[in-house]
Amino acid sequence: MTELEKLRIVAGYEFLKHIRRKRLYVILGLTVVAELAVLILLPILGDGYPDNVMVMAALLSVGPSLAAIGAIFFAGDAIAGEFESKTGYILFTNPVGRMTLVAGKYLACYAAVILLVLLGYAIVSISLLAIYGSVPIETLSSFGLCLLYAGSVLSVTFFFSAISKGAMGATVITLVFIMVISGIIDSVLMMTGQPHWFMLSTNGDTIATVYGGYELFMGGLGTNGGMMPFEMETPDIGLNVLSMVIYLVVGFLLSIWISKRRQLA
Amino acid sequence: MSEPIVIENLTKYYNKFLALNNLSLRVAEHENVGLLGPNGAGKSTTLKILCGLLRASSGTAYIDGVSVAEKPEQALSRIGAIVETPEFYQFLTPEETLGYLGRLRGMRGDELKRRIKEVIKLVRLEEWGKVKIEKFSRGMKQRLGLAQTLLHDPPVLILDEPALGLDPRGVVEFREIIEGVGKEKTIFFASHQLVEVAQICTQVAIIDHGRLLAYDSTAALEKKYQSLERAYLELTEAPLD
Repeated sequence: MTELEKLRIVAGYEFLKHIRRKRLYVILGLTVVAELAVLILLPILGDGYPDNVMVMAALLSVGPSLAAIGAIFFAGDAIAGEFESKTGYILFTNPVGRMTLVAGKYLACYAAVILLVLLGYAIVSISLLAIYGSVPIETLSSFGLCLLYAGSVLSVTFFFSAISKGAMGATVITLVFIMVISGIIDSVLMMTGQPHWFMLSTNGDTIATVYGGYELFMGGLGTNGGMMPFEMETPDIGLNVLSMVIYLVVGFLLSIWISKRRQLA
Repeated sequence: MSEPIVIENLTKYYNKFLALNNLSLRVAEHENVGLLGPNGAGKSTTLKILCGLLRASSGTAYIDGVSVAEKPEQALSRIGAIVETPEFYQFLTPEETLGYLGRLRGMRGDELKRRIKEVIKLVRLEEWGKVKIEKFSRGMKQRLGLAQTLLHDPPVLILDEPALGLDPRGVVEFREIIEGVGKEKTIFFASHQLVEVAQICTQVAIIDHGRLLAYDSTAALEKKYQSLERAYLELTEAPLD
């Protein structure tokens, strides 16, 4: 039996596990709520929908972005959970390499997140079609960037899951790392005019800025960026893609390397 | 006669704590060996090293001549194991869990379905085969643990307190199952239950502070010390250097 066959089996059962868990449906619900909030609140609280379809597309990308962040909740317990809940005592005594197990779990998490992101973009596309009669081609780029971002978030979460004793700890650390630490450093770098394309929070912004940058976004909302005490430089897509690929590959490889060395005492 | 389990000079440190101290032991084919010792004696550590869950600080463990540390997948393909109280994915049913583990061991189609049915019946979980494990008691998980151990009909069983959490009927049924399969398999079995070990095992190894104190047939130990209980008490009470 090849490792590829084992990988397929692990990924299949892990995916089944995600389908059975409530958290998939909670994140799905949050994604829908985020999209509905934009669609309902914008005309109620403002002057209707923006004139520019690109601005609206960028605003609606909040749903898929949230789905990508949801990867943290799938992956937080992927490795740490086997040690914490002791399911590893059963799983690890089978003739399957840790690399195959981690890779299978990763694929299953990714598949679950892709489902959510697809749903998010389905809502985006249907909404734009209904309001503007067209969907910008940049939505495809946004979709690709969102998948890449989800992959990098997954890898970072797998890394923290591999080094953490508990699943909750891994989830919280990853959330703090991505949402707080990365966000703070990102803001400081931006305010001081330093490059920040390597920060995961900046990488996540490309999902929306791919539609035309911060200027278009702020202009479309009528603020023109005047409230900002510093100039907001639109992220370079190429550099951000490179950054996400690095997070994805390095995080994934590190999680395998650590998992292979980790003992179940 | 071949020796499916060979432990050579195993030493294991947990930071500065010495859990196994140069332990060596060989289990012959079709022998049922009980591993006895007080809490912290090194029983679970020994079994975990054999199952590839822990790495020895020094020394080697072999399953059918294959080093567990060097070729874990090859070594693990020969064993069925229960280590500590087994825990399973809550969201799967026993049938799905056994399907998963069976497939990972290369079992397929009708053979796998038949075998799942057989082992579920063997451990008396027929009515629970399609129920999610989140509803299971500790004893039921223990039964499922035994089912996954026997699923692929391995020649070597490594069992760590396998009757823990079972009710009295479960303990008797477990003993009957192990006695039944034990004739054709090599069993290495850690337990605190001297009665259980005396009934199931042909050989007994007593360890304490990670060192082997005695390894002989159950009959020989009972003869020498009058009972297995006395052998255990006398051997494990002496302070070690």
